[in-house]
Amino acid sequence: MTLAASVPDTWIGTLMAAVRRSPAIRAVDAAREEEAVAIACGASLAGGRGAVLIQNAGLFNCGGVLAGLVDLYRIPCFFIVSYRGDRRDPVYYHEPKGRVTEPTLAAWRLPFAIADRGAELEGQVVRGVEAAEKSRGPFVLLISGEDLA
Amino acid sequence: MTARKPLLEALVSMLAPSDVVVSCLGANSRYLPHLAVPVPVFALCDSMGAAIPLALGMALERPDRNVVALEGDGSLLMCPNVLATVAACRPANLTALLWVNGHYESSGGQSLPSAPVDWPVLARGLGIAHVERVGDVAGLRQAFPRARDAREPTLLVVDVAFDPSEPIPPYSERPDEIRARFRIA
Repeated sequence: MTLAASVPDTWIGTLMAAVRRSPAIRAVDAAREEEAVAIACGASLAGGRGAVLIQNAGLFNCGGVLAGLVDLYRIPCFFIVSYRGDRRDPVYYHEPKGRVTEPTLAAWRLPFAIADRGAELEGQVVRGVEAAEKSRGPFVLLISGEDLA
Repeated sequence: MTARKPLLEALVSMLAPSDVVVSCLGANSRYLPHLAVPVPVFALCDSMGAAIPLALGMALERPDRNVVALEGDGSLLMCPNVLATVAACRPANLTALLWVNGHYESSGGQSLPSAPVDWPVLARGLGIAHVERVGDVAGLRQAFPRARDAREPTLLVVDVAFDPSEPIPPYSERPDEIRARFRIA
């Protein structure tokens, strides 16, 4: 990737700290998630490769821009999304978001994978990026805080 | 107040080969295919509020090109926060034009919430230092070159007439055609 646009939560903030150490990826702090999607798409349209790193709550904000930009113009867009409220999340107030995450992804027809902690994370990211490129659309890799430990 | 078309024509006449244009949905995207724009254009037909962040991503990826973003006041009112994101990134090559007519023109001309939004004050408050208000073609001809040469992100607030009887041409290109043709050399 050449650019990673992000709105952080605790887990994504940890990941972005690593991104900021990369000399190859420009880290962009966005004020809201829809912006992050458009910024990443702009980078891709300009010849780079943009990614979006956000929480699942932020992904829920992005229905319009996913339909009206990513899907409509068929722009590759790779997402890493923190899966707050899944069974591994120790914070109780994220639970409602966890319950609707996979149903929302399915309803919006967003291809996704849940990161497998037993396998190398790097390869899962590469496959996700390749899937977005191949389909010229979105691909979402859901991660848990455990995956970053 | 000045109509949109002469303002757009003046803008197009000032574009340089190093420019790239990102247009918001509505009248701008519908007029541009008829104006022989000499630079790459990415025209949105949906996705309100995406023009400036899309242009920001391009500007960051291609610092050798100047990206000109056209956005409407209805769209930016949905997400003025993007100006803070732009200010934080400080791209030297992003020139945004905000077309202010107080109406959602492309959805039938409904009024925006009738608050007296002070766009220059709002933009400066969100960190955009170079903001100019433009009211006519002569003003645009002076302000646009200044903005493009500013070496910082800039916003031109362009007051444009709202005319419900204006014969705006329909969309003439499909998104897949726009996407396929858009190339930044």
